[in-house]
Amino acid sequence: MKNPRQQTYYEKLEVPHDASPLEIRRAYKKLFELYQDESLASYSFFSEEDRKEILSDIEEAYLTLINTESRMSYDDGLIALGRLPEEKSYRDAAKEPVPIYHLQKKTMGVASSGRRKEELQTLASRTPAVREILSRDALTGADLEKLRAALEVPLEEIAESTNIRIDILRAMEGGDPATLPPAVYLKGFVKSYARCLALDEHAVAEKYMKGTGKNE
Amino acid sequence: MAPSSSQIWPIGGGKGGTGKSFFTGSLGILLAKLGRRTLLIDLDLGAANLHTIIGVSHPEKSLSDFIRKKAASLEETIVPTSIPNLSLISGAMNALDIANLAHEQKAKILRNITKLPYDCILLDLGAGTSFNTIDFFLLSDSGIFLTAPEPTSIENIYRLIRSVYFRKIRQVLKTHAFQSLAEEAQQQNEKATVSNPDLLLAMMKELDPEKGAFLEKTLAAFSFKLAVNQFRKQDNPNLGELVCRIVQKHLALKIDFIGNVAFDDRVHNAVCKTTPFLTLYPYTQTALDLRECCSRLLSEEAASSAAQRIAE
Ligand SMILES: Nc1ncnc2c1ncn2[C@@H]1O[C@H](COP(=O)(O)OP(=O)(O)O)[C@@H](O)[C@H]1O
Ligand SMILES: [Mg+2]
Repeated sequence: MKNPRQQTYYEKLEVPHDASPLEIRRAYKKLFELYQDESLASYSFFSEEDRKEILSDIEEAYLTLINTESRMSYDDGLIALGRLPEEKSYRDAAKEPVPIYHLQKKTMGVASSGRRKEELQTLASRTPAVREILSRDALTGADLEKLRAALEVPLEEIAESTNIRIDILRAMEGGDPATLPPAVYLKGFVKSYARCLALDEHAVAEKYMKGTGKNE
Repeated sequence: MAPSSSQIWPIGGGKGGTGKSFFTGSLGILLAKLGRRTLLIDLDLGAANLHTIIGVSHPEKSLSDFIRKKAASLEETIVPTSIPNLSLISGAMNALDIANLAHEQKAKILRNITKLPYDCILLDLGAGTSFNTIDFFLLSDSGIFLTAPEPTSIENIYRLIRSVYFRKIRQVLKTHAFQSLAEEAQQQNEKATVSNPDLLLAMMKELDPEKGAFLEKTLAAFSFKLAVNQFRKQDNPNLGELVCRIVQKHLALKIDFIGNVAFDDRVHNAVCKTTPFLTLYPYTQTALDLRECCSRLLSEEAASSAAQRIAE
């Protein structure tokens, strides 16, 4: 169901215009939980197609707002349309506390901080589905996606911290094979991906190459 | 229909076996214990079992007496229970399915329910989304949806919520000479139909701000509740909140989560003994959860009626 008036990214994520990156990330995670494939609450409400569309809408909003540069140029657009009072924009709030943003960005990266890594490892050890997948000797793209969903790490987080394009990450999870990079790169990408989930990167990469028949 | 002086809470949703009768009966007992004169009406005709849940083995009278004109008034079909302040209109001995109730019969029951002199009236609606079921649900703006934490049960809840929503819009369109306005809206934008309520509403507001605002106000008056029954430890405790969020966001309907009710094998024992679960096992998690639901229901209700008074 569409609103006649296009929602802004802020409205889509349900955050105020001066939301901090942390708030934006939290809002995104909450919405992701609501619309992701395994969400009991949304699966029977929407068609598969509608839900994918909503998810990609939210992703787009998140990716734009989580990056300071793209956020500022997006805000400029809103200000020009008269939909954001200039004094309310993030730029204003960002003038002074810029260092805080960088600080937060550093500590929040996927598995980059020790604490996040520990959390992920605890979650992995407590989740039977994760243990089961990791015990196999070959992994597919769908398995990667299952691991990531079970560990509740949005794909955007991985894109952000690995600098791997999101469409490539999707292809790695079993999406369009035409988008997959050559095998030489692929293995490294899978390692980076596994690192974000705080998993054993060598083992995961080996099994993935085997499971997808790319290791010859 | 003249507004009832009682607080009416219809309880619907889920599949058969979700626990609607268990929940309705338990809620009735709790309200009665709080000193509210409470009446339970079993409208799950054909599968009526509410009497058993509250410890009445063989109700002497039932709703069918009124339908078949054996009882002159609906009031005559009320039977007492062993719990002070709690009465029942049983649906037992009724070969009829609620979906097959003739329009006249339904209208008569609806009219008479609103006249009954009680503080609280709970309607056990059974499963299904027939027009008749929905019309009983629409007797009040504050219906309670009950679901189990399973995909099939949640799917049924969504189906029911949508049916209730669309039927309400249709009612408004019919009774307030809105039909031509709705047609005009649809002419301008073919997608503006009742199955696309957001757009329809926006179009109608544009064409006729006064009528559009009226429809919007009618829909905004809803204040539904949602409870999750048969909740087990491994279930996601936030599921109820998430379902409410989806409905609020995508249907723009107000709905509040009032709690999870734990699964307990002893519910079955209590049903088998024809003794209320709350009487047999008052200190279990399930009993605690039911009391929590009841108190959230009452505080939500107090808050929304206060808000309504301010708005008027
Ligand atoms: N919270 C619960 N824990 C365990 N069993 C329950 C619970 N709620 C309901 N039940 C079981 O489910 C059965 C069906 O409940 P009932 O209230 O008759 O469902 P409905 O009216 O939705 O068809 C009951 O006999 C009872 O054994
Ligand atoms: Mg029942």
